[in-house]
Amino acid sequence: MTVKAEGVSKRYFRKAGGANYFYAVQPVSLEIAPGGVTVLTGRSGSGKTTLLNMLCGLLRPSEGSVWYDGTDLYALDDKVLSRLRSGQIGIVPQGRSAVDTLTVLENILLPARLYRRPLPEAAAVQWMEKLGIAPLRDARPTELSGGELRRMAIVRALAQEPEVLFADEPTGDLDDENTRLVLSAFRDYAHEKEKAVFMVTHENDALQYADRVYRMDSGNITRQPG
Amino acid sequence: MTKRKMFLRMITASLLRRRSRMLIALLSIGIGATILAGLVTIYVDVPRQMGAQFRSYGANMLLLPREGETLTRADLAETLQAIPPEELVGAAPYRYVRLDMTSRQQSFTAAGTDFAGITKTSPYFSVEGTYPARTRELLVGKEIADTIGVKVGSTMELTWQPTAAAGSLSPEESRVPGASLSGSAEGFGGGMVYVTAVLNEEAAIDSLTVDVSTQTPEYGGRIPEDEAFLRQFVGKSLPLTLGEDVDALSGATVTSGAVVDALNRATQAVSPAKPRTVIFTVTGILTTGGEEEGYVFLSLEDMESMTGSDQLDVAELSVSAGADQLQAYADAITGAEGKAQARLVKRVTRSEASVLEKLTALVFLVTLVVLLLTMICVSTTMMAVVSERRREIGLRKALGASDSSIRAEFLGEGLFLGLLGGVMGGLLGFVFAQVVSVNVFGSSITFQPLLLPAAILVSMAIAALSCLLPIKRAVAIDPALVLKGE
Repeated sequence: MTVKAEGVSKRYFRKAGGANYFYAVQPVSLEIAPGGVTVLTGRSGSGKTTLLNMLCGLLRPSEGSVWYDGTDLYALDDKVLSRLRSGQIGIVPQGRSAVDTLTVLENILLPARLYRRPLPEAAAVQWMEKLGIAPLRDARPTELSGGELRRMAIVRALAQEPEVLFADEPTGDLDDENTRLVLSAFRDYAHEKEKAVFMVTHENDALQYADRVYRMDSGNITRQPG
Repeated sequence: MTKRKMFLRMITASLLRRRSRMLIALLSIGIGATILAGLVTIYVDVPRQMGAQFRSYGANMLLLPREGETLTRADLAETLQAIPPEELVGAAPYRYVRLDMTSRQQSFTAAGTDFAGITKTSPYFSVEGTYPARTRELLVGKEIADTIGVKVGSTMELTWQPTAAAGSLSPEESRVPGASLSGSAEGFGGGMVYVTAVLNEEAAIDSLTVDVSTQTPEYGGRIPEDEAFLRQFVGKSLPLTLGEDVDALSGATVTSGAVVDALNRATQAVSPAKPRTVIFTVTGILTTGGEEEGYVFLSLEDMESMTGSDQLDVAELSVSAGADQLQAYADAITGAEGKAQARLVKRVTRSEASVLEKLTALVFLVTLVVLLLTMICVSTTMMAVVSERRREIGLRKALGASDSSIRAEFLGEGLFLGLLGGVMGGLLGFVFAQVVSVNVFGSSITFQPLLLPAAILVSMAIAALSCLLPIKRAVAIDPALVLKGE
């Protein structure tokens, strides 16, 4: 599945209802192709997360549209969009993202649970082993370290085998070894399964795993050579 | 791990983790439902409850003899069948006569009545001593007791003097076999002619005596000596027509006509009843604050044996029914071809209706307020729950939960609380109503089987309604905002 952004921007009013606004993201056009890892880098506050949220269907753009193959993402109604988010779009949000009342495995299976799909338990266990959190499957999120929670969120996204995977600073709280583990997992997933991976990071290491790199600066995006 | 198990885990974990909040929400729904169910029970039961209460205000219906009729105890019993026995709290018949206390040269209004009935129809009667339980016992009004200085245990000798009018019969009624009739009519020159006739076995005239002393001796005055004239009356039945049944005595046509008229008007001479005297024992002194304090009360049996008549002047009824129903009973009694007619005691029925109206309005108002308070409490609690779960809701939306599934989840939680609260309220509500009923009205309440499903439905509806705003909040949560990191 190819994701195409056409003139997507986000602007915020400084005062609600006022005429005075600023662009968090200037109108952007880009393409996320399957079979590769697309990396978006840039300084903090440059609008990376805002763009990611617009691309993955969580944030309606002020202008422009996001196309998933031939489908205008924001023309879909909430039900269809939600179903898309739960199956074909995988999201690794920034920060902590666990339901504390569920075990690690249950957290990972949560998206499938929401739609009564067959639970991808085998895939989940496989990815947990790959990322080194297999022993934690029955643990509670409150017992996990930041790095472990991050990997849990990554497994949760991967286990659904999404067409497009969005990850916001997925290596932020990982050590070097785990960073490599996760980045290679993303690359392998994109290449072997012919899926698209879109990653926001300011980690320079990530660039080695990228097939395409965009840089964002004050809401403007430029494609990096390489 | 099955999906079902996981779902149950999620629900129970979500409820358990917020158990203090959920407990508050459950308690508020439960208490709300309890009070609602209780109030509704009382609301439904109030007319019945108050109906019984109101009966302490005294009789609300009077039965009187229909015009030209007499009402006896048997007639009363027959009339009372128009009212369902369970609604007839009591009936007190009354017969009023004057009785003399010769030793004091006083006379009092005496009421013959049924004391068991009085305790029901006039529960506010206050008796020092006891109500008479046997014949020859007397209840004396306080005013009389004070005037003549009788106390409980004193004796009173009372005499019934028949009045002249008592027992007079109409001419038609008088024409019975063996009766002795007398009558009078105006004769010649304005003088009165008196006749007395004795009837035979066939109620025909057997013998006749005529007093014509006021008539002219040569004409009308000859009648008593004229056997031929008198003989023509014998064997004839009343009434008679002059010129057809009997011929006039020549020269005394007017007097002859007066004799016929007097006969036609003749009535049975009822021998006056003899005065009867009974010595009563005073068993109680009656205080009512009303005119009853100027009466003496004796049993109907004594009244009957003294006056020789079982007729009643009035019967007071206490009926536990609403104003409309009461009017319907009264109309039925009056409309029937019985000997009694019914009247409502408007003073009592009107004030009952107005008190009832105010009471139900009050209960209704309190019900509304409780409903509102419950909704506010549940809504606030659910709002807090949504606030607490902001991140989780955002995460679930990001992971694909649709707005409708979020809505369904909170609504489900609300309905579940409503269900538990409703069951609790339906059962406790009955207990509440029972306690209120016993303590306030002094009577127990019957369990309405419909109450439980009704309480459950209402509290679920309240819970669902209370969840509307919190659900709106939950749906409005922007996952992009809550997932920004910590």
